Amino acid sequence: MNKEEIIEALKTIVQPYSEESTALTQIDENTDFINDLKINSANLVDIVLDIEEKFNIEIDNDSMAKMLNVKATTEIIAQKLEAHAG
Amino acid sequence: MLGNDIVDLDLAKIQSNWRRKNYLNKIFTAEEQLLITSAEKPDEVVWLLWSMKESAYKIHNRKTGIRNFAPKSLNCTVYASASEIKGKVSIDNDTYFTKSDIQLQYIHTIAAPVYSRLEEIKVAIYELPNHPHDYKRTKPGSISHHGQYLALVY
Repeated sequence: MNKEEIIEALKTIVQPYSEESTALTQIDENTDFINDLKINSANLVDIVLDIEEKFNIEIDNDSMAKMLNVKATTEIIAQKLEAHAG
Repeated sequence: MLGNDIVDLDLAKIQSNWRRKNYLNKIFTAEEQLLITSAEKPDEVVWLLWSMKESAYKIHNRKTGIRNFAPKSLNCTVYASASEIKGKVSIDNDTYFTKSDIQLQYIHTIAAPVYSRLEEIKVAIYELPNHPHDYKRTKPGSISHHGQYLALVY
């Protein structure tokens, strides 16, 4: 799965937790879950759990700590998928 | 420095399903999970602990300049009596003190880095549609929004 494919999958995951329709259509690497998408912090946990299920990976606490924006989240997913494949 | 956090309980009910598998384990320490699962009103304890963590994080984030999502690294201890719910939130070598107010519609927590400061904090809570437009001019020490509520502390 390449970076663009991960971002596409991520869009589908975060969509139900944001009411910022304009920001949702403009999601890119620089999108911040809290500042741009106004996602409630308690729902960040749901996003992490959705990612674990969708990609069949496990997100440890140190990785979760960084998952506040699309860029960091995409990097973590790519890393975990690679570790999984290896 | 001050922190505060309000949880609109009606909104929390529809916005978050904390009973979802692994949810609690991502946010709460083993001791906190024990408090929740053994509580008579687990919903109340979930949002009490969450508001304690959020209000302490708001101070810690400003103090350290570190922005992250590591709710499990904030360790809550609750000291409840018949009249009030006080608490302590520890992260690394820092400790923040909290006082919480549990109402039917919301849970509100204030936090301070010094225990004696708690009693001096002034709280203003507004329910929609009565949120003042110019509240930022009043220079609140911390701002929290959730659902119907706007909570300011000074």
